[in-house]
Order: sequence, then structure tokens, then C-alpha cells
Amino acid sequence: MPRSAAALHTLDIIGVYAVAGLLIILGMLVSPDFLTADNFLSILSAVALLGIVASGMAFITYSGSMADLSVPAIMAFSGIIAVAALPLGLPVALALGLLAGLAIGVMNGVVVGVLNANPILWTLAVAFFMEGFMRFTWSNNQLYPDTEPGTPGAAFIELFRTRVGALPLIVVVMFALFVLGHATMAWTRFGRESRLVGSHRAAARTSGVRVSRVVFLNFLLAAFAASIAGIFLASMNKLGVFYLGQGYDFRAVTAVVIGGVMLSGGRGHMAGVLGGVLVIGLLTNIMTFLGITAFRQNIVTGMVFIAVVGLQQYRLRARGRDYA
Amino acid sequence: MVTTALSMEGITKRFPGTLAVDGVDFSVEVGEIHALVGENGAGKSTLMNVLAGLFADYSGRILIGGREVTLHSPTEAKAHGIEMTHQELSLAAPLSIAENLLAGRLPTRYGLVHRRALHREAKALLALVGLDVDPGTAVSEISQHEAQLVEIAKALGNKPCILVMDEPTSALSREEVQRLFAILRDLKRGGLAIVYISHHLSEIFQIADRVTVLRDGKRVGAHDIGEVTPQAIVRMMVGQAVDEFYARRMAKLGDVALDVAHATRYGFFHDVSFQVRRGEIVGLVGLSGAGRTELARSVCGLDPMHHGRVSVMGNVLATGGYPEAVAKGLVYLSEDRKVDGLFLRLSVRFNLLAALTPFHSVAGIYRAGNDGSITERYLKDLDIVAASADADVGTLSGGNQQKVLLAKWLATCPRVLILDEPTRGVDIGAKRTIHEAVMALADEGTAVLLISSDLPELVGLSERALVMRNGRLIREMAKEELSEETALLAANGEGMVSNA
Repeated sequence: MPRSAAALHTLDIIGVYAVAGLLIILGMLVSPDFLTADNFLSILSAVALLGIVASGMAFITYSGSMADLSVPAIMAFSGIIAVAALPLGLPVALALGLLAGLAIGVMNGVVVGVLNANPILWTLAVAFFMEGFMRFTWSNNQLYPDTEPGTPGAAFIELFRTRVGALPLIVVVMFALFVLGHATMAWTRFGRESRLVGSHRAAARTSGVRVSRVVFLNFLLAAFAASIAGIFLASMNKLGVFYLGQGYDFRAVTAVVIGGVMLSGGRGHMAGVLGGVLVIGLLTNIMTFLGITAFRQNIVTGMVFIAVVGLQQYRLRARGRDYA
Repeated sequence: MVTTALSMEGITKRFPGTLAVDGVDFSVEVGEIHALVGENGAGKSTLMNVLAGLFADYSGRILIGGREVTLHSPTEAKAHGIEMTHQELSLAAPLSIAENLLAGRLPTRYGLVHRRALHREAKALLALVGLDVDPGTAVSEISQHEAQLVEIAKALGNKPCILVMDEPTSALSREEVQRLFAILRDLKRGGLAIVYISHHLSEIFQIADRVTVLRDGKRVGAHDIGEVTPQAIVRMMVGQAVDEFYARRMAKLGDVALDVAHATRYGFFHDVSFQVRRGEIVGLVGLSGAGRTELARSVCGLDPMHHGRVSVMGNVLATGGYPEAVAKGLVYLSEDRKVDGLFLRLSVRFNLLAALTPFHSVAGIYRAGNDGSITERYLKDLDIVAASADADVGTLSGGNQQKVLLAKWLATCPRVLILDEPTRGVDIGAKRTIHEAVMALADEGTAVLLISSDLPELVGLSERALVMRNGRLIREMAKEELSEETALLAANGEGMVSNA
């Protein structure tokens, strides 16, 4: 007998936090400095950018479009535009940066949602195009803000370094996005319709769902989250340039999938995704403690992704080949 | 001298739960076109699949050219000269005609395809069906009619002694059908034995020499075509009416709920106008390909409509598509629950509530409110058997899945319900439950339009029937004149009175 859907959901969420717990124990064995408030704060800060991107990416996967591979381009573009617009003042710069990223989201939403393009190939093409476009427009240059004290540039740089009480602003933003994301997924009409579209697009259409609109809004959400992350990333690096954001696409999908959102769509939970983000953060942190270099860390992340997707496929088959 | 090309004796094939073919005798002479007819589920396909070697576990004797053979695999069937053409063509559209014709046995030289030999052989095959086109043309470039002929040529390429044709004319125009028949007569004179499966009785009387009628897996008759009339064949197909199964319903008709005026979608249906009143169940009769499903999907906005106007309870549907229709109370139960009906990987509960999403949302926020009691109510009312409301719908039996699909729409309290094959492939108990639920809904004042190839169901439930043929509404039949027999004849364009 198949276990009930609700129980499976709970299991997915508990599962990812159990893995996080195991990693914490492993971390304590690796280093005495691991289990300190400072280290946890640094883990949270380190994963906050990824978490913000993943909070948007989760909607793409959940609604059956698998992944938005234009996320790195959106991040770089909104960062560049924000830095370039700094002479107009910080609020205007932030708004324009956000709008720049959203513009790419609108384009993705129209082409995938309304014109029914393949989401993977289309967003891959957008990423390719945007990189070329940014390199051409800014002649491969990095864009530096004016950081004289008192200028909008100085305030922009401070953004990433701001603290709200004990927590960095970026961590607060990440948690806020997850709370909002959870509310959207669980309690709104849009969240329910995303689930229907993700489970079975044709059946969603014959159930009266405006499928194009739902897909469109999901791409807009992903672009919104990626733009916020892109602006923070530019603030962190004190510059805007076409390559900022590289690698966030795949790592975000990995976090989403580890968090129990099915690549085939329609199943998953924001709490699980947050767990997935934490697992990736812990894993990276432990590997850093062990002195494993960044490139080798990619190998481990890739292997984790393969293992989790393999497990998902296996479970789908076990649930019933005829209707999976 | 007449010899028998094929003789099947006492063929029986059992599926879990049903006896699909039960001791059927069937024979075809050399140089004969033998029509095989019966309603959906009568056993035609199963009998022909036995002949095609799809089942290793049939019982009975099969003789080909007088010699007993076993047909336990498609390879064996082909080796004995049995070929089939299907309703859905089996051609690969991007490839050339020649490549399709000789697929699997392309002539080669030095390990490469020998293009000249390929085209030469293809030309010879095309000549058999009287088709004069360049064999290098891609199949996607040729017409339906030509593709049908290519399909036949492909079957002939394997030098069959028995050719089975399943609904070969469903995509053809009247003139094209006549050309196809001329070719079939030639092939017949050449000594080929042809089994011709069709729902179109008029075609059978034009082309067939003999006809075998199946009903409920049994043979009910085999006659020379000159001995029978369309009426007699229909009577054999439908058998005794089982009216008592359907409770007589006293329909209380109200205002017009669904008003369709001059609906046209080019290539599918033309200038169709009709009305359905509150409390009324109207059957839509027609053969496959008559345009019934297409009409239903366009009326509710799932597919485009080029001309025409649809109103629900006096409100004209604008261009909002299906979501607008649902909001105004016009809903459509999809023909195939697996293709676009149910979310098989989601729970029974989620499926039941799926269509309620817009109705239960205020300012974008979903209010679960009485979701629990709605779920409980339909599980109980429709007697849905599931491990729990949280079990995936995909784990349910076909009948229970179909009940969930119906409940999804019942939950929205529709003004107009369009049912497309509401009981296809479900057991008798589920069928009864679904019929009762539909009648109860009509009693509460919902207008129902019923599309069904299950004639007893259509005749039993409908107060009135509309007959569609070749995309046009050709007739309306009142309850008194509606029977399985008259419905089937009308769908074939024949009947006592015709006022097209």
C-alpha cells in the first residue's frame, strides 16, 4: 500500500532536517570551532544568497518547469543596473536593479508560459544571450560604485554588511522570503494552481486553471528572488559584472531537490527547501573546515544532486509505474 | 472455385474479469471483402489482435489457406501473411514515402542505403494502390488520403494474403473514399482476402461481400451483404434493449441554460445551433470523427471557435476561454481521464477540490473552509472506494477514478455539465452510480449534454438527442423516437425521416 501523500510530505521535511542534524554532528567531530554561534552565523550568511535564489527557484520546480537557468544572468544584470544607477540615488538604483531582473522574468514567463517553449532550453538561451549582451554593453568591464562616504555608493556597499540586531540583513531577508514563499505556496489560489499545473499541465487546463498565467507568475517570482540576491551579491563584491551569479542556478536547483521538491513537479514544501539550503551550507562549511578546495566541493555537490534525484526517481517508480 | 483464406474457429480470449471474445467463428474467402461490425467493446479489436499475434493465450483453431497455424507473436502472424492497417496511421511523418514503405528492409549496397533500388521498389508498391507521387516526398508533405494509401501500400509490400483494415476512411472525404474503394476492388480481384472494420454502415453496403456482427464478445450473425439491411445489422449489434436498467425520469424542464448559436470551427464542425434547458439531459449522437468532442471542447472554450456564440443562463461567453466558462457554470468532463482529466499523482482530496480553487479563493487567498465536508460528502455520495482521501488517485480502480473526475465537477454546482464518455472503461456498478449522480444533478436543475458511444447509456439517460454527422447537426430526435437502433441509423445518415 502506498503511504499517504501527507505522511510522505512530512517525511520529506523531517528527512532533510535529519540530514542537517547528522551533518552538525559530523561537523562537531571535524572541528571544535564548528558548534559555535559565530560559525552558525557564518554558515547562515554564506547560504543566505543561495537561500534567496532557491526560495524563488522552488516555485519553478514546484510548478513543473524544472529550473530557471537564467538565474545567474538575472543576478548579474540586476547587480550591474543597480550599480550603474547609483548616481540617481540608492532607492532608485535598487528599484531599477529589481526591475531589470524582473524584465528578464517577464520575458521568460511569456515565452515559456504563453508560447509553451521548453523552460530549460529557453532559460539556457537567455543566460547565454544575457552574458553576451552584458559583456558587449559594458565592454567586459567591472562596474565600480563611487564609495566615498556619504554617497549612494557607500550606502549600497553597506547593504550587505547591515545587521538587524544580531543577524545580518541578508539572513533576515532570506527568512522573510521563505515565510512569504511558504504562505504563497500553501495558502493562496496561485500556490494551489501552481501545484495543479506542476502535477499535470493538461489536467490543470481542463480543470479551469489559467495555466499560462500561473507559469508566467512563477517565472516572475523566480526572477524577483534572483534580482534581490543579485543586488546583495553586487553589494558584497562592491562591483557589478557579468559573471557575478555564476553557479547559482545549479546549486539552487540542488537545494530545492534536496529539500524534497520533486523534479517532476507538484510535490514539495518551502520548509523542506530551507532545509535543503541549510544542508548545502553545512556541507560546504564542513568541507572548508576539512580544507577541501572549492572545485572539489563542486564534485561533492554534484554527487549529492545525482544521489537525491536518483532516489526521487526510484521512489516515484515504487509508488506506481503506471501513473508516475 | 472458392477457397477459404482464413478460418478462425471457436476463438476465445479472456482478460482479467472479462471474456472479451467468446467462442467466435470467423472466416474470409480468397478474393472477398468481409466486414466486421459491432459496438464498442463487442470484441472486434480483440479478435483482430488475436489474428495479429498479440496474444499467446487465446484458445481455438486458426487455419490459413487450409493449414492450421498458431499465432502467438506478431512475427508469426506476419510470416503467415497477415497485415493490418490502423486508424491512426503508423507512418513516420518526417521520412520519405519510400523509406516508410520499406522500413525495416531498406535495400542496401556496400552497407549504405541503395537509394535507386529503394525508389524503384517504392514506385512499384505505390502503383499497386494507384498513387502517382514521387517516393522521395516526405510523408508530412502528402494529404491524409495519400497517407492512407501509403499505409495500405506498406502493408501490401509484405505480400499479405489477408489484409485487415481498421476504420480506413475515418479521415477521408467522400470522393477519396470512392477512390479507395476502387483500389480495394482491384486488390480483391487480385485474390486478396480483406477484413474491413468500420462503424459506417453505408460503406459496408458499398464495399463488403459479407458481414459478420459481434456483440458482447459473441458472433450474432454472418450474412451475405445482399441478404441484410442496415436495420437488420443495427438490430443484431444492439440486441435486446435493457431499458429497465435506467430508471424512468420525469424531467422538469426550466429555462434555456445553454444556448449555442451558429458554432463553427473550420475543419471540425459547421454552423451548429442548439439549446439545452435546465433539468434536461440531451444526448449527442454521432460516429467517431463526427465532431462531437471537438464541438464540446470549443463550446466551453478549451479549443478555438471561429464563428458562433455561446451563452450560459443568458450570459454570453466572451473570450475568457475555459476559466470564464467554469466561472459562469459551464463545465466539461474530459473524454480521457488519464490524458487530461485527473491528477493521478495527487490525492483524491486534492483532485476532488481542484476545480473549486477559484470558487474558494477570496482576493487570491485560498479558504479551505468546508473542504473537509465536501470531500467526505462526495466520497460517500458517489461511493468512492479509496484507502483514504489522501491516497493518490492513480491507485484507485478505473471506476472510482471516473467517479472522482465527475465529483470534481459536481462540487462546483455547475449550471451546464458537458459529459464526454462519462463511463468509458468502468465496471457496471460504477456506471450505475455515475448515472444516478447525473440524473440527480439534472433533477436539481442542471442542464446536461451527454456525449457517449455507449448507446444504451445515451438512449437511457437522454430526454432528447441531437445527431451529428460530418461536423453538422443533421437531426433532432425526441424521446419517443429514440432507441439504440434509430440512434445508430441516424448517426449513419440513414433513418425514417431525414431533414438535413
